[in-house]
Amino acid sequence: MRRSYLVVVFMLTVVGMALLIPQPARAFGDAGGFDPRILLTGSQTNAARPSAPGRWSWELVQRTSAPARLRPSQVHASDAAITDGPFLYWSGDASVPALTSAEIAGLRRFFALGGVMLVDDAGVSNEGAPGAFGTSARREIARVLPDSAPITIGADHVVFRTFYLLRRAEGRIAGPKTLEAIVRGGSAQVIFSSHDLGGALARGPTGMWEQPVIPGGDVQRERAIRLAVNVAMYVLCSNYKDDQVHAPFLMRRRALSPHSEP
Amino acid sequence: MPTTRLATSNDLPAWAIVIACILAAASLVLLVIEMRRRERGGIGILVTGVLALGALALAVMRPVRIAARESVVGARVVVLADTSRSMALASEAGGSLATDVQRSRTRQKTRDDVVAALSKAAPDARVLELGFADGPPKPLAGETARGQRSDLGSAIRALAAMPEERPSAVVVVSDGRLDDPQEDAPKPVLAELGHTIHAPIHTIATTRNELPDASVRRVANATAAVAHVPLPLRVDIGCSGGLACEKLTVTAKELREDGPPALLASGIADVKDGKASVDLTVTLDRAGVRILEVGIESPTGDAIPENDRRLITLNVARERVRVLHVAGQPTNDVRALRQWLKSDASVDVVAFFILRTPADTPGASQEDLALIPFPVDELFSVHLPSFDAVVLQDFDAQPYGLERHLPALARYVRAGGGLIMVGGPNSFVAGGYAGTPLGEVLPVSLDGAPGATAADTAPFVPAWTEPGRSAPVLGPLRAIVGDELPSMPGANVLGDVRPGGVVLWTHPTRTTKSGAPMPVLAIGDEGDGRSIAMGIDGGWLFEFSELGARTAGRGHGALWDGLLGWLMRDPRFEPAQVDLPEGCIADVPTTLRIRTAGHALKGESVVLDVTRLDKSGTAPVHVEKPLGDGDAPLEIALPPLPMGGYSARLRLGSGPTTRRDFACEAGGDEWADSRPDPERLRALAEATGGTFAFADDVRAIRLPKPTVVSAERHVVPVAPPWTWTLLAATLLGAHWFMRRRGGLS
Repeated sequence: MRRSYLVVVFMLTVVGMALLIPQPARAFGDAGGFDPRILLTGSQTNAARPSAPGRWSWELVQRTSAPARLRPSQVHASDAAITDGPFLYWSGDASVPALTSAEIAGLRRFFALGGVMLVDDAGVSNEGAPGAFGTSARREIARVLPDSAPITIGADHVVFRTFYLLRRAEGRIAGPKTLEAIVRGGSAQVIFSSHDLGGALARGPTGMWEQPVIPGGDVQRERAIRLAVNVAMYVLCSNYKDDQVHAPFLMRRRALSPHSEP
Repeated sequence: MPTTRLATSNDLPAWAIVIACILAAASLVLLVIEMRRRERGGIGILVTGVLALGALALAVMRPVRIAARESVVGARVVVLADTSRSMALASEAGGSLATDVQRSRTRQKTRDDVVAALSKAAPDARVLELGFADGPPKPLAGETARGQRSDLGSAIRALAAMPEERPSAVVVVSDGRLDDPQEDAPKPVLAELGHTIHAPIHTIATTRNELPDASVRRVANATAAVAHVPLPLRVDIGCSGGLACEKLTVTAKELREDGPPALLASGIADVKDGKASVDLTVTLDRAGVRILEVGIESPTGDAIPENDRRLITLNVARERVRVLHVAGQPTNDVRALRQWLKSDASVDVVAFFILRTPADTPGASQEDLALIPFPVDELFSVHLPSFDAVVLQDFDAQPYGLERHLPALARYVRAGGGLIMVGGPNSFVAGGYAGTPLGEVLPVSLDGAPGATAADTAPFVPAWTEPGRSAPVLGPLRAIVGDELPSMPGANVLGDVRPGGVVLWTHPTRTTKSGAPMPVLAIGDEGDGRSIAMGIDGGWLFEFSELGARTAGRGHGALWDGLLGWLMRDPRFEPAQVDLPEGCIADVPTTLRIRTAGHALKGESVVLDVTRLDKSGTAPVHVEKPLGDGDAPLEIALPPLPMGGYSARLRLGSGPTTRRDFACEAGGDEWADSRPDPERLRALAEATGGTFAFADDVRAIRLPKPTVVSAERHVVPVAPPWTWTLLAATLLGAHWFMRRRGGLS
């Protein structure tokens, strides 16, 4: 008993000292960093994978130079604050009710400013068939942006090479190789994932992954995390990796890469 | 003036008098023939015959005495004297233009002598002395040879359009080196000038002597100069007056403020028959007004070395603005700026963002990463001059090897480049720029002391300064957001504004060491270039914020429109427009015209500084004037400036500066070809019915005669008509008597 007490004291001391070490400012505050803001609609109070956005930011900060909010915010579609940031993360595992006119107006203001949204279907089947959330979210987005329809984006899209060179999309579910996106003004403003990307990112307070990946393996989870990092980089850098100085170099590297995936 | 003269009777037509005279002459001839056939005597017959014929003629013509009061009206003659710069050249070889002796032998002196001689040669003529150079002619009195053109055509057309009495003759006094009519103008074109004025054009050439002179006669270039695009130049070289020229080196240099003229191209002119042409190609990196010096090496014996160099002012445009956008980390602010840059089709963006630092662990092999090496050495040494602007956004110089390129980056700014440093945790002091050459070209000072505070992370709303409110650079933004600015998440700690800088936004609470409000956004001139310091990373909040939502996010684009436009010297964002309506000729006073386009506050003062680009010798000119309340352009007279390139910097009140570069040439186009052209004047005279002469033969000019006008006239017969009849009858009788007595019938 006494020994375990000492261990606890030691651990708390270490954690406390670690907290006292000054951290370099990654921005003036973290206002300008990546914020995977959770979008709430209707009576929704949280994301389907509530721990995923924080983990998303953590992975981004660890792997890249991009600053991010480790405690992402959340915003309701009808809230005026919806236009306070350029990104929204909308996830769910059940059908969403029809958006109110205030929610539609808020989302339209957000997209009019050039905002980007990731629609992540947590209720996707193991084979990748859209769940009730995915289907209803597409329906509601069509009401918000009636003049635009989703198109399939594959490995040739800049989202797949904004930081990692990816061959396909993956999440908790391997699902389809591609994503879908509504492209407006040359930019993908709404990205639909039928892979439960948040499910692959979600990690409990004990540090354990919350969801098993299907068909399984750490490699698939790692690729899902890489896709999430790429989406974040796409939000921050848009089509930077499509620039003339990058494109030929990256195409050549991808062609030579031994880690090719189908 | 009263006059008296004899005439014939008014009731006789002219033909009757002619017939009477003919008959009298014929009778006289017959009488003489008759007398020659006689062997002796007959003198009495001849005398009485002649007297009788005379009396008979007088009886027919009945002479009258006319007493009149008359006045003589001289013909209106317009003398057009050449007042262009070429008349300041010497009339003959020898000596230097600088000597008084030579000055007394200028073409202008000869011209004035000719004009004086013309007045003496035609004392009755009403001579109007005008000078021509460009546009309508002006009174000659006091006109020196300072015109930068010699446009005779325009002068004659303006003369014909005047509502005054049309001249009976025009006399042109010139060296013949005219802009219009041109050297190879055909006869119909020349004749048309005479038809225009409805009078003959007489011409007098001031000189026939060619000076020994080599010169750059013409520099022809494409109509538009575009930055980074090769510009062809054709340089025509001339060699006249017996000067020995064979091969001359031709160079094209750009006059720069940051150092000696930069050699852009050179070639060899192979002179044959006194002429040569050389094709050069130059590439100008910087847009805006650029001054090229095209020159040759002066050969020995060159009488006019001043025209061996031409200063060509080019307004260099941009095909597209090339911007190098370097960001230390991807943030919302980087995102917003990149999207704005990429949305503008006139901007060509080359971007490099640091996506991974050595401390980051991507957990993947290099082959799986979409990262390429940051080519800092290549970018900031080889390609740097090709960019119009460099944006360093939240970028730390030290880890990526930029430190060693900071001197080159500072030189790039001074040579005309644009620099924007955008804030963030890695900018300004935190980025290691304090005390570096780059820090010296920023519009604000940076604290380089160890442990200097780099940032203040407390949220704040920037405050407008007075220059910020009135500066056109922020005009588009103010049109959208008014006085309102979004709350910023923090600021880089910046020092006082440096000389030449203007603060547009300040921190509401922080101050600099001097106690002034801390700059947040400042702009400034440095050498040929410009720089901007923006000590915040919250520009993206003009898009994504409550203010951004209300203004449809247009504030961000408007802010950067102004900043990049000002950096590129877009006239829309300049507080004033400066031009030289009459150009600038070396050693001659010139005038700058300033238009403020309503940007300036009434009552502000105008501060003008004119400096020589190469900083040599000439003392800078400093002028301060009140702007006044009217909207009329303000004109500022400059003292005579020596030949060279100059930069005029204008500041309205405490606002940003406007810059205008200009060149003062010794002779300009007028001295480029020093040869007189009397043949052109001769052809003009022949085509218009006039006469041609050289200056030493002014009397050869045939000016129109004056017109006599009578005011009062009295006609009185010399004798009554019967007297002439009686006298004729008596003399005829005497003649008949003598003939009978002499044996004639």
